[in-house]
Amino acid sequence: MRARRFGTLIGLLLLCAALWILTPHFLTVSNLLNIVQQTSINAIVAAGMTFVIISAGIDLSVGSIVAWSGVVLGAMLQAGQPAAIAVPAALLAGVGCGLINGLLVSIGRLPPFIATLGMMSVARGAALVFTEGRPVSGFSEGFRWIATGSLGFVPAPVLVMLIVYAIAHFALTRTTFGRYVYAIGGNEEATRLSGVAVRFHKTAVYAVSGLMSAVAAIVLTARLNSAQPIAGMMSELDAIAATVIGGTSLLGGEGSVGGTLIGALIMGVLRNGLNLLGVSSFLQQIVIGVVIVVAVLVDTTLKRHRT
Amino acid sequence: MRKYTVPAAIALACVALSCNRDTPAAGADKKKTVALVLKTLNHPFFVDMRRGAQEAADRLGVTLQVQAAEREIDVDKQMQIVENMLQTGIDALAITPSGSREIVSALVKAKAANVPILIVDTRLDPKAAADAGITAKTFIGSDNYEGGKLAGDYVIKVTNGKARIGVLEGIPGHETADSRLRGFRDAVAKSHGITIVASQPANWERDQGFNVFQNMLQAHHNIDTVFAASDLMALGAIEAIAAAGKTGTIKVVGFDALDDAKKAIAEGKMEASVAQFPYEMGKAAVESAVKVLAGESVPPDIMVKLEMITKSAGSR
Repeated sequence: MRARRFGTLIGLLLLCAALWILTPHFLTVSNLLNIVQQTSINAIVAAGMTFVIISAGIDLSVGSIVAWSGVVLGAMLQAGQPAAIAVPAALLAGVGCGLINGLLVSIGRLPPFIATLGMMSVARGAALVFTEGRPVSGFSEGFRWIATGSLGFVPAPVLVMLIVYAIAHFALTRTTFGRYVYAIGGNEEATRLSGVAVRFHKTAVYAVSGLMSAVAAIVLTARLNSAQPIAGMMSELDAIAATVIGGTSLLGGEGSVGGTLIGALIMGVLRNGLNLLGVSSFLQQIVIGVVIVVAVLVDTTLKRHRT
Repeated sequence: MRKYTVPAAIALACVALSCNRDTPAAGADKKKTVALVLKTLNHPFFVDMRRGAQEAADRLGVTLQVQAAEREIDVDKQMQIVENMLQTGIDALAITPSGSREIVSALVKAKAANVPILIVDTRLDPKAAADAGITAKTFIGSDNYEGGKLAGDYVIKVTNGKARIGVLEGIPGHETADSRLRGFRDAVAKSHGITIVASQPANWERDQGFNVFQNMLQAHHNIDTVFAASDLMALGAIEAIAAAGKTGTIKVVGFDALDDAKKAIAEGKMEASVAQFPYEMGKAAVESAVKVLAGESVPPDIMVKLEMITKSAGSR
């Protein structure tokens, strides 16, 4: 696993080197700070997605949960609630959706694809109904610090991302919860037979994903100074892509949040580089698609060789 | 061996990158660069706008950089594009905001970089812009509210003030769609014989226009007129009408005068469409940017004409 993550990192560095040669605008402090800021939202969502995918599940509802928690946050702030109340409420809104996903999967025995597909539609619809389709905007400077502020030279969204990743990494590698997530993804039946509370841990995994989506929603809302019910559309695919490029297997039981972070950075650097070079958005989609497919193709081919 | 997984993929991407670098590393010439950031490039409206802008850029000897998000509603991606383009040292920024309020945060960065801003097609939210201290050099566009009114007045005229209308709305909460619909509703409200029997969003899309209108027809057999906030939805409705065997009995009025719509109008399948002139908008955007860069003044509003395209009026 270590070697694998190392490989992803080499990929990222190669990409950076190529862009450094291709354009003088790439390797500047302000551009690199732009990239990490632009990456932070996808990276935070992808951290939650990593938990789900390691447990051999999938969460298609993350983008809709971003929108739903965002509008809850926006509406509360607009109603004059302090951020100290609105932010926890948004987190709760996200965890709530995740819990429902988790219960549908663990107790309801629905395939994760179906359960979260349902939530994807319900949460999106709820966000639209709640706001009557209109964005909620205009927040205080204090709240917007989460997106516009910085600590030293580290922009606040990057700080949030780093904290999220530190906690996620710790949870996955140093706690029993983390170990069980891998075990469930590797062989659910065996894990259950060895006395692990599989249902509980599976539910928790989706709650974590909902929570991460809510954290991303907070950063996104502050960044846009607006909570949009149409925010985060298709961002589930970006999150899955970052996770998969980062070496997490869709079959479960294998992966790391460190890899996901690098995967998200690769996507961010790619998009940024294509913008700097003036390449059309159509081509960007092709390049990103090719990177995802080739990364997974090489991965599965090598896995077959190994066993 | 395993560690080469992702590098292999990246190497491939780099090859793709270097092959498709469509901006030649222009030497040391002092050509000014105008950036045009569109909502998307997968809509004929914006493709036309780009063409107009390119024509003006070639004529005036400036470099034009066009970028757009993959999806029209993805304002975060549009923000990223603005941030990234500012890194390349553009001289002026013309933008069609994907979100009237949201994009202001990105424009603050343009202002900080001393890049003049020109707004095209969709206005900034006046309050959000004022709060952030953003003043655009000019707004170039046509008035969607007036366009909606134009369509409403036209419907009153051709139906002699008696119609049962089904409305196909754009994405809820979208400024452009809201203005068009408001204009249309205000215009038809004058006429007592006209009722809007159903109004549903079809999210700017052709296939949704088909489905939504098909459902509408199920619920309201006697709809005799359709107003769609965009031609793509109108074209979807036309297919639904054909599928119901009612071609020619229901008048369809759209917005945008896309080529497909003009064809449908010429064939008598569609009644009319409000034409905006995105080509002119793109042209005016670059012309104004060049003026601003030369230190000349430009008017705060540059209105591009609107026109009703009908079978008798012919296409432009």
